[in-house]
Amino acid sequence: MAGLVALIFVNAAASGVFAASYTILLVRGAETAALGAGFALAVRAAVSSASSRLAARQARQVKRRLRATLLVAALSRRRGNRAAVGEVVGTIVDEVEALDGYFARYRPAALEARLAPVLVALLVAIASPVSAAILIATLAPFAALMAIAGSAAAGEAGRQFGALARLSGLFVDRVQALPVVLSFQAEAAETRKVEVAAADVGRRTLAVLRIAFVSTAALEFFAALAVALVAVYCGFSLLGLLPFRPPERLDFGRAFFALALAPEFYGPMRRLAGAYHEKQLGEAAAARLGPWLSPARAPTRISLDGPPAIRLEGVRLDVGDAQIGPVTADLPQGGVTVIVGPTGAGKSSLLAALLGLAPLAGGAIHVGGRRLAPDESLAGQASWAGQSPVFLPGGVAENLRLAAPSADAAQALAMAEAVGLGPTLARRGAQMRLDERASGLSGGERRRLAIARALLNPSPLLLLDEPTADLDAASEAALLELILKERGRRTIVIATHAARVAAAADCVVRLA
Amino acid sequence: MTGRGPVETFLRGQARRQAGALLVAALAGAAAAGAATWLLGLSGWFLASASIAGAAGSLAAAGFNYLLPSAGFRAFAITRTAGRYLERLSGHAAALRALAALRPALFSAIAAAPPERSLSLSAGEASARLVQDVDAAETEFVRRSAPWAAAAAIASAAALVALASPLAAGALIAGVGVQLALAPSLARRWTTAPAARSLAAAGELKSALTAYLAAVDELQAFDLSDRAVAALMERDEALGQAHVDRADAGARLGLATALVAAAAVAVVAALCVRAATPLAALADLAALTAFEGAAGLLIAAEQRGAHHAALARLNAVAVSAPQPGAPLPGTGPIVLDGMRLEPGAVVALTGPSGAGKTRTLEILVGLRPAPPGRCRIGDIPLEAAPVGAARGLFAYAPQDARLLTGTVADNLRLGAPDASEADLWAALEDAQIAARVRRLPVGLDTWLGQAGEALSGGERRRLSLARAFLRRAPWLLLDEPTEGLDAVAEAALIEALGRRLERTGQGALIVSHRPAPLRLCAASLDVSGSA
Repeated sequence: MAGLVALIFVNAAASGVFAASYTILLVRGAETAALGAGFALAVRAAVSSASSRLAARQARQVKRRLRATLLVAALSRRRGNRAAVGEVVGTIVDEVEALDGYFARYRPAALEARLAPVLVALLVAIASPVSAAILIATLAPFAALMAIAGSAAAGEAGRQFGALARLSGLFVDRVQALPVVLSFQAEAAETRKVEVAAADVGRRTLAVLRIAFVSTAALEFFAALAVALVAVYCGFSLLGLLPFRPPERLDFGRAFFALALAPEFYGPMRRLAGAYHEKQLGEAAAARLGPWLSPARAPTRISLDGPPAIRLEGVRLDVGDAQIGPVTADLPQGGVTVIVGPTGAGKSSLLAALLGLAPLAGGAIHVGGRRLAPDESLAGQASWAGQSPVFLPGGVAENLRLAAPSADAAQALAMAEAVGLGPTLARRGAQMRLDERASGLSGGERRRLAIARALLNPSPLLLLDEPTADLDAASEAALLELILKERGRRTIVIATHAARVAAAADCVVRLA
Repeated sequence: MTGRGPVETFLRGQARRQAGALLVAALAGAAAAGAATWLLGLSGWFLASASIAGAAGSLAAAGFNYLLPSAGFRAFAITRTAGRYLERLSGHAAALRALAALRPALFSAIAAAPPERSLSLSAGEASARLVQDVDAAETEFVRRSAPWAAAAAIASAAALVALASPLAAGALIAGVGVQLALAPSLARRWTTAPAARSLAAAGELKSALTAYLAAVDELQAFDLSDRAVAALMERDEALGQAHVDRADAGARLGLATALVAAAAVAVVAALCVRAATPLAALADLAALTAFEGAAGLLIAAEQRGAHHAALARLNAVAVSAPQPGAPLPGTGPIVLDGMRLEPGAVVALTGPSGAGKTRTLEILVGLRPAPPGRCRIGDIPLEAAPVGAARGLFAYAPQDARLLTGTVADNLRLGAPDASEADLWAALEDAQIAARVRRLPVGLDTWLGQAGEALSGGERRRLSLARAFLRRAPWLLLDEPTEGLDAVAEAALIEALGRRLERTGQGALIVSHRPAPLRLCAASLDVSGSA
């Protein structure tokens, strides 16, 4: 900020030197004055270069802070409150980048537009106070014009971002679901949807640009007229044809000095007008980002020292349109509890509620005799294998150790072996890499990998969702045996349809 | 640098379509730049002439024709403003129309690429290409009017300067020439690398972010969010550094070209010093605007690096798609691992977990390249047919039942765009999910949210089954169709499936480790040796 202000002062001084050199050149015919003009222009070039470097760094600071805040918010959103992945990606990457223009160009231009005209007007006043007064007088309508244009554009720019987020959301979703799109030969139909969304982005962008360009044009026209006004005043004053008696006597030198500086008076404002689109985008992005920035109430982590007894007391959950519960049950400490019930009854949702991924709609969860407050969560104290496990792009051991940083690669691979992934690793190599879809693995293999991840993490609470689905009977038995080894060391909760798993339980919670 | 990838070819075609708008932009740009030069030059001349006339006495002052110059002020100011507006608007309109056409073309190219390519593209990376790389490609369209504007500004300025001193006009042209010759090579040296790095870094950030967001449940459950944020901020760091480097390179380029301009302006001013004062004033101010007019070309040079980098990234995903060959005959038998499957046959694929049952289905649907000799459609080996040529033969209900973000009906109509509502309900009944859909707030029109998040895993699987039922294809490929169902619902589904197969005459390949679905199968095929 201070740096930019200093650069603005230097720039104004250089402009003064430039106009003075040009005037001396014309009035006295002294060629050496050309050197002064060239020098002044060189200084201005250096100033402009330095201020854009400075502004880029400031914009980067702002973006870094903002992106960090947004990432924390996006990754702590609970179920039911999450936007489509593609839209969030658009917000955190594209919309934050849209602020680059705002902070790197618009804000410095706005600062310059407030400061530089005053400095230039002071310089002009040395030669012609009346010209300076004319310039100052034209500022008021200029500012009014800026304000009017600003309010017209805000809505359009917001809609442009909306359209861009929809396009990004659609695109990410369809690329993620590409196997389905391809198998159903729906490429043409989905391409048409992208076409519609892309055309919408184009239309809305043009609507925003039209307003920006009209505003810019109006401001430029106004600047040109104001310069002409000064030229006409000076010209008529020199001709002695003014209808009133000016309070100053102009000669050609003074008049030319004033005229040469007049464009500099409006230059900052023309640059501001040029950065107008950046202002629109920045403000629209800020408005869209606003709701993200309300401090997310990160759940308080509680810590457990040993497997807890858990009591569900009239627990109710809202899952989309459906209601689940009330569920009341005592899950024995270090025992195996099985949740059974038809699909859609809420087994997975109950596990998610235990993990703190989804809020309770009613009732309470007691852990080790202590009632969990609404903002308390067992996350970090629980190990979990969900129904559609997700892995990060990277190696097998790497993925396993992500959940259990204390384990080393050998332990991770041994665990993978134990859950029955041995043949897979032998076939694909222990260094096999998973991509975003984990597309090299079958459904059963993915499930085993998720269980390995959950078992490797030593948390005192172990939550497993359909651990033996997609597995044949022999594999099911082997895996169940491995899970039951944890009995006593951890409190285990399993959602399942499998009779064999239910038969091993110390406690069965039945959902209707 | 001037590669001729598919994207360049596409953009050239778009440029031809937008020729009218681009021409308007070029003419308007030229008019605006010319008018700006004349406007400033005229005001200098006016002032100097007025001063001379004023000094010569009131008679000369009264006879001074100020009407013509003031008409000129108005005309040039209006032309400059209107020209700039039209240049920007038409240029951007043409660019935006071209982009709107480029985005679906890219999606289509990604979808048509060989599956081992298209399916390995991460969604975040794909979105980076589609959004920001396409935007970077836009600049070329917007800057097409720059040479015209620059030419008009330089020609006008040179003509005005020549009135004062032809030698100065020569110096001016030389100065602008040096500037324009210097800019592209400096830009190549300075801005190309950071521009490419910035695009790549944004792609990596998006790619990583997409992966982490998909795993947000896992991150929250294992309390890994802080580490995820730290890992993502490392990518942000790379992106931010690339951005700053690019801004620095741009600033350096701007400084270099501005120094050339400063020297040229000083030389022109010195050379004009002997001319009559009005003409010298005109020349000095006009020379300044010549460089202003050339600024568009300098920006274009600065952006060219990003433009080329974006095109290279786009070309990498938009490999020209193989033309789809004739669809394979759907009525004949399929030979899989040496077993002949007659139309209408219902066959179980068996083998231990991880043996390659799912992989076999994916090979048939063309989501994986077919290994030689595993499968023939009629007489044609699958590996010899174009990728996906057999897709029309199959209706696939995969194990990982991915739904599209959209409504229930959108998902069901994926394979049967013209299906009536009665058809949709019949398929939902058969898949044992109709009752659940009826309970949704607006039935078939209920928005399912991100990948069908509103439904449970089992419900998603049955909706995906209904989606496959609706597709008129000779074969159903069902991967664990009853997983997650209780015994009663499973029995109902199997009975409905049996009736459906009988009615439609479709064949089916079924993968299941549960006994009930396998009871429908007249034969079984062990794939464990083949994968």
